[in-house]
Amino acid sequence: MDTALNRLPEGAEDISTGGFNRFAGPFYRLPDEGAVRRFAFAALEKHMNGAGTVHGGLLMTFADIAMSRTSRLASGAKSCSTVSLNCDFVGPGRLGDIVEIRVSVSRQTRTLVFLTAVVFCGERVVMNASGLWRIA
Amino acid sequence: MSGAPQGFSEIKLIDPFEIHTGPVWRKDGTYAFRVAEHHCNMRGVVHGGMLMTLADMTLGGAVWDATDREPSVTLNMQTQFLKPAKAGDLIEVTPELTRRTRGFVFMRGDFKVGGETVMTVQSVWKLLGKD
Repeated sequence: MDTALNRLPEGAEDISTGGFNRFAGPFYRLPDEGAVRRFAFAALEKHMNGAGTVHGGLLMTFADIAMSRTSRLASGAKSCSTVSLNCDFVGPGRLGDIVEIRVSVSRQTRTLVFLTAVVFCGERVVMNASGLWRIA
Repeated sequence: MSGAPQGFSEIKLIDPFEIHTGPVWRKDGTYAFRVAEHHCNMRGVVHGGMLMTLADMTLGGAVWDATDREPSVTLNMQTQFLKPAKAGDLIEVTPELTRRTRGFVFMRGDFKVGGETVMTVQSVWKLLGKD
């Protein structure tokens, strides 16, 4: 197995049970830090673009998975669907990086969850994301 | 879940993640993508991450063409998911260039299944200059 996977933080739990999540992953849930939900993946060869950095599509996939999961955890609903997602690509991720996302709930209503998230490689910000989820 | 729609041809993908998730077909300024089971989530609808990856590929391809092959990077992508798409659906987009400056390209695209929009995207691209 790729050595980057051996460097995942302690307590990382594989959440890539099937479908595109597994096809694009694996993605992991990390222990919460207070109200902040944390997730991670190890940047593998298949996640790259031609310039040797992590593909933007994969970073948005990671954000969508982590933020959808956070919506479900916050609402207790079985499924939530993404209504809108805004991503700013702040800096590059590299092969072998452990990429972590920290997701916070801004507001929750009966039918909606508003979320913000920041994606890091170590201390360095790679992407900012915010979005809106519908509670199914 | 096979071949290209009539008149479309497969585009040559270079990025490992695009090769992993493709293929994508093209006819003039229109791109097409067939949803397979492995692009879907556990509820049987195409994963938002796959759709945003498709947006990055196709709008990026249009930037590459519009700038006479100048390298660029995605700075921002704003996505709205209007309607679910399922395995077997053919998703089509004709990316539109909203504005181009010396350093940036502003793009938008409506991603459609059978003429109905399933996702709309706006994105900003930073041009990196030619060697």
